[in-house]
Amino acid sequence: MSITAETAKAHANDPAVLCCRAEAGTELTPANFEDPAIFPDLVDSGLLNLDGALTIGQVLNGSKLTKTVDSLTPVTADIVDKFDAAEGAAEEAPAEAPAEAAPAAAAPAFAAPAVGGMISLHIGEGKNIDIQIPAGIGGGAVAAPAAAAAVPAAAAAPAAAEETGEAVVVREMTRKHYKIDKVVLGDETKIEGTTLYVRKAAATEGAEAQKLVHSLELDVITPDNYHVYSETVMDIQPIATKEGDDELGEGVTRVLDGVVMVVTGITEEGVQVGEFGSSEGYIDENMMWGRPGAVDKGEIMIRAHAVIDNKKNMERPGPIAIHTAVDHVTQEIRNAMKKDLTDEQVVETQTMKQVRRPGKKKIVIVKEIMGQGAMHDNFLFPTEPVGVLGAKPNVDLGNVPVAANPLEVMDGCIHALTCIGPASKEMSRHYWREPLVYEAIHDDDVDLVGVIFVGSPQANTDKFYVSRRLGQMVESMNVDGAFVTTEGFGNNHVDFTSHIEQIGKRGVPVVGFSFCAVQGALVTGNQYCDAMIDNNKSMSGIENEVLACNTLCHEDAIRGLAMLKAKMAGEKIKAPERKYTHAVKEANVELIEKAYGKKMELVDNEQALPMSEKRKAKYD
Amino acid sequence: MENIQMLLKQGAVGKPCAPIVAVGDKVKRGQLIATPTGLGANVHSSVAGEVIEITDDRIIIKPNAKQPKTFVKIKKGSNLEMIKEAGIIGQGGAGFPTFIKIYNGKEDKPVLDHGYILVNASECEPGLAHNIAQIDADPEMLLRGMHYVMDIAGADKGIIAIKKKHRETIEKLDALLKDDPAIERHLLPDIYPMGEERAVVRECLGIELEPDKLPSAANAVVINSETVYSCAKAIEEQKPLIDKNITVRGMIKGGNEAHVFMDVPVGRSVQALIDEAGGFDERGYGEIIMGGSFTGKACELGDPITKATGAILVTRQFRDLKGAKVGILVCACGGNLERMEDLVKKYNGTVGHVCYCKQAVEMPNGSIKCERPGNCPGQVKNNLEFKKAGCEYIIIGNCSDCSNTVMASGPKMGLKVMHMTDLAMMAVGHPLYRTLKVSKKVDQDLNVVDNVEDNETVE
Repeated sequence: MSITAETAKAHANDPAVLCCRAEAGTELTPANFEDPAIFPDLVDSGLLNLDGALTIGQVLNGSKLTKTVDSLTPVTADIVDKFDAAEGAAEEAPAEAPAEAAPAAAAPAFAAPAVGGMISLHIGEGKNIDIQIPAGIGGGAVAAPAAAAAVPAAAAAPAAAEETGEAVVVREMTRKHYKIDKVVLGDETKIEGTTLYVRKAAATEGAEAQKLVHSLELDVITPDNYHVYSETVMDIQPIATKEGDDELGEGVTRVLDGVVMVVTGITEEGVQVGEFGSSEGYIDENMMWGRPGAVDKGEIMIRAHAVIDNKKNMERPGPIAIHTAVDHVTQEIRNAMKKDLTDEQVVETQTMKQVRRPGKKKIVIVKEIMGQGAMHDNFLFPTEPVGVLGAKPNVDLGNVPVAANPLEVMDGCIHALTCIGPASKEMSRHYWREPLVYEAIHDDDVDLVGVIFVGSPQANTDKFYVSRRLGQMVESMNVDGAFVTTEGFGNNHVDFTSHIEQIGKRGVPVVGFSFCAVQGALVTGNQYCDAMIDNNKSMSGIENEVLACNTLCHEDAIRGLAMLKAKMAGEKIKAPERKYTHAVKEANVELIEKAYGKKMELVDNEQALPMSEKRKAKYD
Repeated sequence: MENIQMLLKQGAVGKPCAPIVAVGDKVKRGQLIATPTGLGANVHSSVAGEVIEITDDRIIIKPNAKQPKTFVKIKKGSNLEMIKEAGIIGQGGAGFPTFIKIYNGKEDKPVLDHGYILVNASECEPGLAHNIAQIDADPEMLLRGMHYVMDIAGADKGIIAIKKKHRETIEKLDALLKDDPAIERHLLPDIYPMGEERAVVRECLGIELEPDKLPSAANAVVINSETVYSCAKAIEEQKPLIDKNITVRGMIKGGNEAHVFMDVPVGRSVQALIDEAGGFDERGYGEIIMGGSFTGKACELGDPITKATGAILVTRQFRDLKGAKVGILVCACGGNLERMEDLVKKYNGTVGHVCYCKQAVEMPNGSIKCERPGNCPGQVKNNLEFKKAGCEYIIIGNCSDCSNTVMASGPKMGLKVMHMTDLAMMAVGHPLYRTLKVSKKVDQDLNVVDNVEDNETVE
């Protein structure tokens, strides 16, 4: 494809190749050149031989073709009337890390910018670089026994904020943790000591109120036997409630430790309620324990299993009905929590603070959430944490960007109805423990202004509509940097990259987070997609249907923050390898460990789980 | 003669007209039968006969056995009034009402400020011949018509854009232009597209317009040559636009030469015109295209021609791709996605992937336009995508230059390239759109032979 003057400048030292037939006498301009970003593919497929090609910079100074040549002809000395001497390349190279490839100005639209990209950490920038890495971050802590698990590192918040001396606390919220070590299904919903009783009939009532739900059944899965078959897991939800009239993100939240709600669903015909894979199978083989959105090892699951009308698995009303029915049960538990729990039973109290750091680089986190309709939707801002009542479906809001503060995010303002690939979908619990929000608010070098949720609509015109609104919103925030995250891959990458473009073209450095790797390679791209964190953890870089395997974890958030800081400091992000390789991430981790002098613990992947029949047959 | 169907919406743009006749009415040839309800132009009956049916979109007239050559004259008035009264719309394809194009309602401030009337005589779509035949037969009327239009639009200059290959016709024009300093001619190369209005502006005036700009942004109005004749006839003969020149060509009995029919009553059926040309070739055919092979649409035998119809092309039979994956490259020069998908279906292929040419820009009305018609932006990236998507074939609708670029990488990658015009081009005996060997520039001196190699010949 022909290139712009800017691209030509960025690729001044790359070979000049004509994109189209050009006639003798043509004075060469950027419009005559093919984009060097795709040369590797062309060379690979034998379409291009760059031997003897002059660089773009050499022939942009009034050079004219002396003969008519066809598309994909390299500009060589014998077909131009004059060219400039080669220069620049040799001088500039040493300034950058020598081992790396040239920075990718424009991500090729068909190949993934892949993982991470190489970062150069600019250590001189910002004193006091001190990322607080909670012991056993990611897999370690969150996989710890139930009682300590819920939000292991949140306690570090006040300490970090106080130390800076300049942080301003905008608002606070308290989480009171209550331990549950036994769940009994019975005739009444109540909490006695550390035992939670759940009224079985609540599920039947929940189902009866929903026309599309044929049945909803509860059972309890306990840590002593996780080898239990389960239909696809639609969502995992914390069980929490607000005290009194407190609103989300403020006041006091009561949360049960050691137990979570697990929503599963199929149609009458037995079709899994999921798209692009489903996680049905034995739970111990299909659950990536300890991921922010997943169940932690040691926790009790209250499984609510729904059967819905045939064909409703791929239509929004189906999943909405299931979630609403399940919430009937959860709300009854919440009511019991309000009634039965006393302060004496609190096992841990966390004060969560939203801090701003005036004078530090202002950043915003944009989270793209699914909003294609069909089954993809999210309830935004329910009255109760991860509730249904009071919430507005993202799709009905037109998927336009909506602003939230970090405490609202961590207090369950997103009730996720997402049914995309199990390995990359962000379930409700993911937001409750969102690692990027957590790491950003605890990073002394940056000033997190807030979180924006933007839906991913189905139609391309709608995607660009919301994307433009997002760009404008970010512009008005006057930030120095931005993150854009997404779950899933494919369709949503169209708006994901467009979001990055809309923000990037306003001069704001952006770092993107997505599962890409092998299977989720970006389907589109633009020049602003040059700094990407790949959330992949799977060995083969695929959607392996292991629940939450490839979702954003603390280790990704830390890499992303380092990358954004580097980018905001004007450092160049190196282009990734053309083909996905774990090596890029590993090298980035190594760089960060060296810079911060701290070891980064990386989470396990599916290889740590017992091999399932499905994985054996389909994956690895 | 078969029943005549006068569509209430004759062009691609505008709103349908409202009938002012009723079933059972006897109408004369040239009688006003429908008037505009919004953007549109008068519709007159092209035959003498009886209105036998009025539907939502057309008036159907049973013609009398004997048809007069004469017609009901439009009433006299100013030149502009007569062009409006005659129901003249652009005859190059889109059918925009001419009186609106050349007059803005301001007596003292015409649409152009000492600007240009650019006459599109490029006969852009391959295989057509009726435009040049008309000019060749009566070049004087073209010049008179141009002066009428120039006066109304406020143009000082007129330029006739015509392909250099029509040497004899150009010589006739040159002889007349010696005595007409306000009008000149501009020679065009024989490649596609040359008649796209912004391409005409670029070729004649050297101004490259953005896709959302009209020629008025270059102080110019582009008007099809046949439309100029219609204006002259309205003014000089008080003739409403009831007859149309048509090229019928392709898989027609007796060979693939162009059958040029002058003054065909608007509303005649595709079947009737094919019959008059000699009927279908006994080897069968693929589809019938109303209009050119790039921008026209597949039609049915019973469909009527309109004031904007230029051609009826009968194509070769479709090959059976047996369900093979076909990539579609959509661009502004050729068919839209719907048309391309229809072709893939007719070829019995499966759509494997869709790409858009980098220069195809979507307009607010949903149509697409090319940023730089006829100048390729590179295509190899799309080919890589097709290959990646596992396509065996690709079908393109690109211009000469872009087709050439597609060919530079497609076949080497193992993609079998088809052009949407292939079956029509084979049927009319025109080289297929593949590689480009002729220059995109021609010398304006008719006697200078340009650096021209032959394009690929058929099959």
